[in-house]
Amino acid sequence: MEPTVPVTKDGEEHAPLKRKSKVAGLLTNKKSLSLNLFAWLFLSPYLLFYLWFMLYPIIKGFIISLYQWTIGNERTYVGLGNYSAIFKDSFFWEALGNTVYFVVISTPTLVITGILLALTVNSGLKGTGFLRSAFFLPHILSISVISSIWVFVLQPYTGLMNSVLKTLGVTQEIFWLDSANLAWLSILLATVWWTVGFNMVLFLAGLQEIPDDLYEAARIDGANSWHCFRYITLPSLKGVILLVVVLQSIASFKLFGQSYLMTNGGPGTSTRTLVQYIYETGFRTNEMGLASAMSYVLFLVMVLFAVVQFKFMAKKD
Amino acid sequence: MEGIRTRVKIGRVFLYIFSYSFVLVWLIPMLWMVITAIKPDGSPVTVLSELIKPPFTMDNYQYVSENASIWRWTWNSVYIAVVTTALTLLLTSMAAFALSRIPFKGSKLVFWIIIAGLMVPTEATIIPLFMMMVDSGLINSYSSIIFPSIAAPLGVLILKQFYDAIPKELVEAAEMDGANKLRIWWSIFLPLSRSSMAALGIFTFISSWNNFLWPFLAISDEKMMTLPIGIPLFQSGYAAELTIPMAANMLASLPALLVFILFQKHIIKGITMTGIK
Repeated sequence: MEPTVPVTKDGEEHAPLKRKSKVAGLLTNKKSLSLNLFAWLFLSPYLLFYLWFMLYPIIKGFIISLYQWTIGNERTYVGLGNYSAIFKDSFFWEALGNTVYFVVISTPTLVITGILLALTVNSGLKGTGFLRSAFFLPHILSISVISSIWVFVLQPYTGLMNSVLKTLGVTQEIFWLDSANLAWLSILLATVWWTVGFNMVLFLAGLQEIPDDLYEAARIDGANSWHCFRYITLPSLKGVILLVVVLQSIASFKLFGQSYLMTNGGPGTSTRTLVQYIYETGFRTNEMGLASAMSYVLFLVMVLFAVVQFKFMAKKD
Repeated sequence: MEGIRTRVKIGRVFLYIFSYSFVLVWLIPMLWMVITAIKPDGSPVTVLSELIKPPFTMDNYQYVSENASIWRWTWNSVYIAVVTTALTLLLTSMAAFALSRIPFKGSKLVFWIIIAGLMVPTEATIIPLFMMMVDSGLINSYSSIIFPSIAAPLGVLILKQFYDAIPKELVEAAEMDGANKLRIWWSIFLPLSRSSMAALGIFTFISSWNNFLWPFLAISDEKMMTLPIGIPLFQSGYAAELTIPMAANMLASLPALLVFILFQKHIIKGITMTGIK
């Protein structure tokens, strides 16, 4: 039901006025001029920051990438030289490879764990609120705190992990951060603990949108829990799963804090990510131009992810 | 029939046991931080029976607050997060209002240019941002952290979507009463969008509170550091110890924990809103 009464009343009173202003072009112009002015007044404070700190850096970044440029602002024009240099740089490829490796191992882990946690929270146990809060809790801690906790948990001899494993019968001392594979496992573990709560919340929202009668109907037809999950829950969650996969891939591609603070890219350079390599090239080796070119490669990959994201979100609508 | 019911019941019991033991394991790193932070230096911190019985002490907290600029860092973090949140809410809601409710030439184009900014990760602009901050003398200042955060377009998108759904009749009625656009924004749109603003605000606050990469680059002066930057610096001097760094972790986390306890519902809602709209 539309609120017809006041609208008709208003319409009657003001319709002639509107028509008049349409005839008098001057008045309309004046009105749209003041609207324009208002609009820009409202927009300009935000736009100022946006143009200054979002758009301009992209342009400036590209310009810097065409130069050999130091922090001290000394520069020589090298054209696309920086780009050809990074494509010949084996450390760049290693960092890119490490980053992609992390995306590949972390995305499925974080999606599946997220679904499992959401199913647990959603299964109607007593204390649902507590379970949800508990799983989400690490997400609000800073990456510095997360990394510090996990470095201590995983420390050989005095760490919590190894003493627990010892009571379970593992006699060997494990050096979690000293071999490439275990270092990646450690980073993955810390990342799951830190961020899976976010994915869980998205999946919970998805689960709560599935109508109950679907399950009731299936139960009446004799379906068991596995059937319900396989033929109702999973297909209904398809959209959310796709979304989380994209969001997670983007987040994992930007990995820096965990690996930098837990392993500093080590052992050697085996867990050094693209962002860390950009940081080291720019701020340690003082090659701002080269680092800027690498940032552009990173940027293009991210745009690619974003296009995929927009595409399937548009499809959903 | 009886058999099925018992089976369901047993399954339920197993689910309880599994879920609650898992949640306990999940919380262990957190509980470990809480307890080791109040154990005297040098006490065995991996033996459960030793962990849960006294002595407990506040010495670690005292030591951290005397030997690290922890209160200064907390103040910096609070100041930056509060100003970032307030400015983000104000500016993005004004922009969203203009894009949603004031017809003007180029409105669509401006909206798409802003939305395109969603694709730009800070990670990709750290080099030019740093050079800009050095050139303008903003490096090592609060502004160098706050300004780039305000430029984030997410708030404009979320609030515009909300504003688009506010019924036209409400605005028309106010216009009949002679209210101008500023008044309509202030006394209709702002109050109506309170819950979206709360979700966006808390989201912005926590992101700012935990922001790592950019402050890590832009701030080298110890006095200007935020907690996520200062804490690892302080801890690097105590690699062999555990109790003092854990107390530092606790102090760095308490404000965020407080925000979480107070605004949990809004946080959850905010994620749902920003993830799937």
